[in-house]
Amino acid sequence: MTRASLLCFGVASIALLGGRPAAAQLQEGQKYWAFQAPQKVSPPSVKDTAWPHSDIDRFLLARLESKGLHPVGDADKRTLIRRITFDLIGLPPLPQEVDDFVNDSSSSALEKVVDRLLDSPRFGERWGRHWLDVARYAETTGKTSNFNYPQAWRYRDYVIASFNADKPYDQFIKEQLAGDLLPTDDPKAKAERLIATGFLAIGPKALDERSGLQFELDVADEQIDVTTQAFLGLTAACARCHDHKFDPIPMQDYYALAGIFRSTQTCYGTVPYIFIASVRPTPLLPLPADCGLPAGKPDRLTTEERERIQKQIDDLQKRETTDQIVRLVNFEQLTLLRARLDAYDADGNAKLLAMGVRDKPSAGRSPFGRGRGPGMGMGMGMFGASGGSAAIADSPIHLRGEPNQRGEVVPRGFLQVLSRKPPVIKAGSGRRELADWIANRDNPLTARVMVNRVWMHLFGRGIVPTLDNFGVAGQPPTNPELLDHLAITFMDDGWSVKGLIRRMVLSRAYQLGSHLDAANAQADPENALVWRMPPRRLDAEALRDSMLSVSGLLDSTPPVGSAVARMGEGPSLSIFPGGAGGRMTQAVNDTRDNHRSVYLAIVRDYMPESMSLFDAADCGMVIAQRQSTTVPSQSLYMLNSSFSQRVAEAAAGRIYESGASDEERITAAYRLSYGREATAQEQGAAKDFLTRFSAAAARDRVPAFRLNKESWAALCQAMFASAEFQFRK
Amino acid sequence: MMSRRELLKSTASGLGYLAFAALAHDQATRQSRAESPSPGPLAPKPTHFEPKAKHVIFLCMDGAPSHVDSFQYKPKLQADDGKPYARGKLLGSPFQFRQHGQSGLWISELFPAVAKHADDLCLLNGMHTDLPNHPQAYLQMHCGIFQSPRPSLGAWLLYGLGTENSNVPGFVTFNPPSSNGGAANYGSSFLPAVYQGTKIGGGRFGGDPNQVSNLKNPNRSPRTQRVQLDFLQELNRSAGENGIDTSAVEGVIDSYELAFRMQAELPQLMDLSGETKATQEQYGIAANRARGGFGGGGFGPPSGDGFGRQCLLARRLIEGGVRFVEINVPGWDHHRDLKGSMQRSCGAVDKPIAALLGDLKQRGLLEETLVIWGGEFGRSPVVQGGDGRDHNAKGYTIWMAGGGVKGGLAHGQTDEYGYEAVEGKVHIHDWHATILHLLGLDSEQLVFNYAGREMKITDVKGGNVVNEILT
Repeated sequence: MTRASLLCFGVASIALLGGRPAAAQLQEGQKYWAFQAPQKVSPPSVKDTAWPHSDIDRFLLARLESKGLHPVGDADKRTLIRRITFDLIGLPPLPQEVDDFVNDSSSSALEKVVDRLLDSPRFGERWGRHWLDVARYAETTGKTSNFNYPQAWRYRDYVIASFNADKPYDQFIKEQLAGDLLPTDDPKAKAERLIATGFLAIGPKALDERSGLQFELDVADEQIDVTTQAFLGLTAACARCHDHKFDPIPMQDYYALAGIFRSTQTCYGTVPYIFIASVRPTPLLPLPADCGLPAGKPDRLTTEERERIQKQIDDLQKRETTDQIVRLVNFEQLTLLRARLDAYDADGNAKLLAMGVRDKPSAGRSPFGRGRGPGMGMGMGMFGASGGSAAIADSPIHLRGEPNQRGEVVPRGFLQVLSRKPPVIKAGSGRRELADWIANRDNPLTARVMVNRVWMHLFGRGIVPTLDNFGVAGQPPTNPELLDHLAITFMDDGWSVKGLIRRMVLSRAYQLGSHLDAANAQADPENALVWRMPPRRLDAEALRDSMLSVSGLLDSTPPVGSAVARMGEGPSLSIFPGGAGGRMTQAVNDTRDNHRSVYLAIVRDYMPESMSLFDAADCGMVIAQRQSTTVPSQSLYMLNSSFSQRVAEAAAGRIYESGASDEERITAAYRLSYGREATAQEQGAAKDFLTRFSAAAARDRVPAFRLNKESWAALCQAMFASAEFQFRK
Repeated sequence: MMSRRELLKSTASGLGYLAFAALAHDQATRQSRAESPSPGPLAPKPTHFEPKAKHVIFLCMDGAPSHVDSFQYKPKLQADDGKPYARGKLLGSPFQFRQHGQSGLWISELFPAVAKHADDLCLLNGMHTDLPNHPQAYLQMHCGIFQSPRPSLGAWLLYGLGTENSNVPGFVTFNPPSSNGGAANYGSSFLPAVYQGTKIGGGRFGGDPNQVSNLKNPNRSPRTQRVQLDFLQELNRSAGENGIDTSAVEGVIDSYELAFRMQAELPQLMDLSGETKATQEQYGIAANRARGGFGGGGFGPPSGDGFGRQCLLARRLIEGGVRFVEINVPGWDHHRDLKGSMQRSCGAVDKPIAALLGDLKQRGLLEETLVIWGGEFGRSPVVQGGDGRDHNAKGYTIWMAGGGVKGGLAHGQTDEYGYEAVEGKVHIHDWHATILHLLGLDSEQLVFNYAGREMKITDVKGGNVVNEILT
């Protein structure tokens, strides 16, 4: 194979399209498998007819049999309930739940567990987090100057609630892209749909960008990128500067989408700030007063507090100075004080605001003026920043992506290669039509991309291994018939994600054991054909949550808002030592928070160590599949961090109280941590350890009355640190 | 505690290494911290032939720096500035080039300090790679291919050579990007997990970019912690018998052993306070400068003195026996404002790189340390958007210094405009083969059996050692 042919992956004809793709080239491009509609195929016949539980199994087994491979045996019940509980709710099963399942010999035992887990509010926290990875969820702007998004948490809660409610996936898409344009009279539904469009607003932003046009193009680019990757598994943003190098996506298509997003106003809040750190604040979206949602900050601003802040503002304004720096610092303080006042209405009630988007006015109608957001009092005029478009309009092509190099104007529209019957944009930005075009049975990618994501979370590897690239530079599906079967049944089932998960976990394939079969491994080392369930490390959230759960510290009540919401508008991290961001670094590093990890403050470029060391998603980009590393910095965290020690001490206290003898306590530790009984040998080893550790600690001059406590804490910490705790089989 | 019989039994059933580790741990406990380096997978291994270099410091410029504005002088490009070429217009370099040293290497004004070391530099001016796209090219530069997961160069070297000091990680990477393939760029893929790089910093996460956190347990002496660790490793070994892949469990076991040993030695290695003020100043480290490594989102050029600190740390780590140190520097994707961006990016790295070269040389370390500078590809001779350059995979420059390469040499050449390598062409596979060769390894012999195949970093096609540049 030549190096050049490596690029082509067997479909050279459509790669590297030059110039404007002729209709013929697009037609050629449509022949690529991913741009063809999913095909309904009858499940194949298999030799071992006793093995399959479902059609999923038949599709898998037929491939295995054709390669002469055999699935390994089934997992035992303890392993299975542990696996399924981690996968569905991100927590270990309680000992009682394990016992109940093991003792339930009915044929519906597993279904009962699955339904219980799907109904648990913890389900949305687990699967919502998967979506938040894709949605590059964070609560600050990131980039060169990092400013708070104090309302971002509403989108987080919306996602969690959507998964818990099993919102049909097509509806979920429509709300995120065009929730503001979906009519409803219900104030709660209206609020939720506005919040859903936060999907388009929470991306990273360079608030210090001086050129309004550049900024608008960059925001639209980020929105094109997240929309096409998240829902379609395509990297359309590559076509900003040139026709896509691999996929049949010409620049025209990119700017057709750009027109839609440039006709949309993105409302993310933030404040103007000194030293040109932030020159791009916007209003936020007001939520209906009667929507019943919390403010995420103190509900009331007392009169005394208001007067105190107002006095500070007045004093600052009176302070006359010619020193430019002092004036700027005063301006910073004024901005933050005004933002605090502005978060409440005249009666002192907290304003209900959300991040999100809305259409720009149609050309000819009056430009914005309503909905001044926090911090908007200063206006943008002082920076003389402008240049974006004020009304709904088609976008010109910007040659090589350059703001000043305008080419032909492209009508707002969609990706031609996926559009056999593209909808017509009659009025408005076109987001409504975009949403309908994506969340549609006729779109060949939408359902496939989603079922593939869900499959990966359960089986460890996508049927299309490149989860966010279904294009030509991605990899083809290992089992295309299965992929299409899943996509079609998903749509037939009303785009129910819970239904999809239910079908997958009740398959026999999901219930396979995890042992490595040498012959299978030789033929299919990546387990692409699914001959076993590969063990894998718990992700960062599941690991932290499990430690909290076993220790009894876990606070399952979802918190209202987040640390970022409580801090309010302003820079996330200190620009000066002791500046406004100091509290945020404290909040992020607070190892005493006992809520589930999905609720931790997510500050771009400043992730909590409990997440970043364990391969949590980088919130700067769409993450379809996390990486999994095993490195000593993780080991050091498990052995030495204040979190690991605190949690181990709590677990030790709980376990010590639970038994009357060391033997009982060791049993409890194994049942809680590993979901199984300790063997006689393990009992002996644990007792031996307690004795030896106690002796060693005594040599370290640990006082006698604490030896017991410390030894048990060391035992629990070792269990948390162990492979059996950190891997789900 | 394992009996001899059990040990032999488990060895026969493929748990050999685990059992071995058990034995080693027991011994370690008995010897009460007698520092005997465990002869595990990190033990030094014989090379295929006499090595020229023992260590590598890879200064990796994430984003692909322009070769025609830095280390490839193209007078014809300057002369034809503005003329049409391909589907664009040529952009002459806005920077002056001058010859430096006795060798007379052409280097642009962007690297005045590095240019003083011209006679130690070996410019590979005929580099080329497969794709002009960041993620693929970054991965290919690190792992040989980008189509499927493969071990990174540092992991291969550690696998082939072992480490000189098992108390510190053998492969350290500063500030790796989370995009462009992310952790795969320092991953071990199918090689045992113990060979993957240890990340320090990482532009997109918080914390001190130049430190490893949690290096000390405030409540336990090392001896007491060792008792706990022995118990933990016993738990881990049983996990290996309980349905978790032994390779994964071995990775966990090794990771804890290394972490435990790191606590003793790494804090001193990572502490710059013992360096003289003069040394610190050479590297651009100043007490009153921002300590940050790469402020902002990890997209811009380095701010503060983070890069200087990392260069100095790299020297200390090499001295401490680390095999492969990589420092990733973001911000080189200069589609716009080439002139200003290059001035900022080069200005941030020039002095620390020169200090590193000088420091290594003065300590006699340069001859056994291969220093490499470069990015994932080069940039186009034609202008993009009036003042920038687009990607170019067909021709660019990577330079190497020390460790068995000829200094003062410009090997290979691109065409008169710097677009395509035409002479002394070096593909990434050739480059990898050459690096391995300098470290005493034959890329055809450094193999790992996986998926029924003997895998190697140069893939099926293989790579040719660039013999012309060897001393």
